[in-house]
Amino acid sequence: MASGPSTTEGSTFTPDIPSEAVVKATDDIYIELTPHDLDSRALTTFVRSPNAGATVLFIGTTRDSFNNLPVSGLAYTSYTPLAKNTLFKIATTILEKHKCTKIAISHKLGECPIGEESIVIAVSAPHRKAAWLAGEEALEMTKDRAEIWKLERFEGGEGVWRANRDGVMGNKVPKEEEKGLPKV
Amino acid sequence: MASTKGSAGHFTILYFAAASTFTRKTTEHLPAPLRVRDLFTKLNDTYPGIKDKVLSSCAVTVNLEYVDLDDDDASGADKEIQAGDEVAIIPPVSSG
Repeated sequence: MASGPSTTEGSTFTPDIPSEAVVKATDDIYIELTPHDLDSRALTTFVRSPNAGATVLFIGTTRDSFNNLPVSGLAYTSYTPLAKNTLFKIATTILEKHKCTKIAISHKLGECPIGEESIVIAVSAPHRKAAWLAGEEALEMTKDRAEIWKLERFEGGEGVWRANRDGVMGNKVPKEEEKGLPKV
Repeated sequence: MASTKGSAGHFTILYFAAASTFTRKTTEHLPAPLRVRDLFTKLNDTYPGIKDKVLSSCAVTVNLEYVDLDDDDASGADKEIQAGDEVAIIPPVSSG
């Protein structure tokens, strides 16, 4: 262990996560943060509707490298009560903006082996264009805002908390840039 | 975690990601009341260096609502954390 406080984790880090899925759902929105394997089929079934002629399914899987450094594993933690609310607000915004029918967002918590699913977004709409656009925007908003953190463990070394907005650990984004982000 | 009840006169603070690594804690109880603007300084007294290394890029929530630390009239930072409140340090997020 390195001396003094650090912002990188040792190899023994165990994520502090709920033992069961945290869910917030209505008839047309399904939000889930779960320690279990993601079920893309179940989410696709949830968004299916006689009103929708298009369903777009996005599956994000964990990569084996970051900036050419080999990654041996990842773990996700979350402030689940807040992340659940944030994802629900994102889903509500997306449904309204793109006139979609239904949307489901599920994110993995805890250990996520390389190559496995860490996020699934399913969205349905009357026509394909809206569904494509909604799926992409839902993912970008989720990566910007959902209170979920990824620990990347590098082979033979320690873990590093990633930050989506700057691609590196711990760099502060200038205030002007932050103000340019859309509000939910 | 979120359901932990503090002793009387204290609020609960939650640490995530780099904040948790730095403090080596996921949660603790601190004396209330405390103004939000004084929170980072207080934490830096307990965990020297945390302000520059971690907190400068973090947001703060009180009872699941973000406190605006940068607004011009600083009304957010003047907010007083009360006993029983749940405060969280929110580092830059990285889902997906």
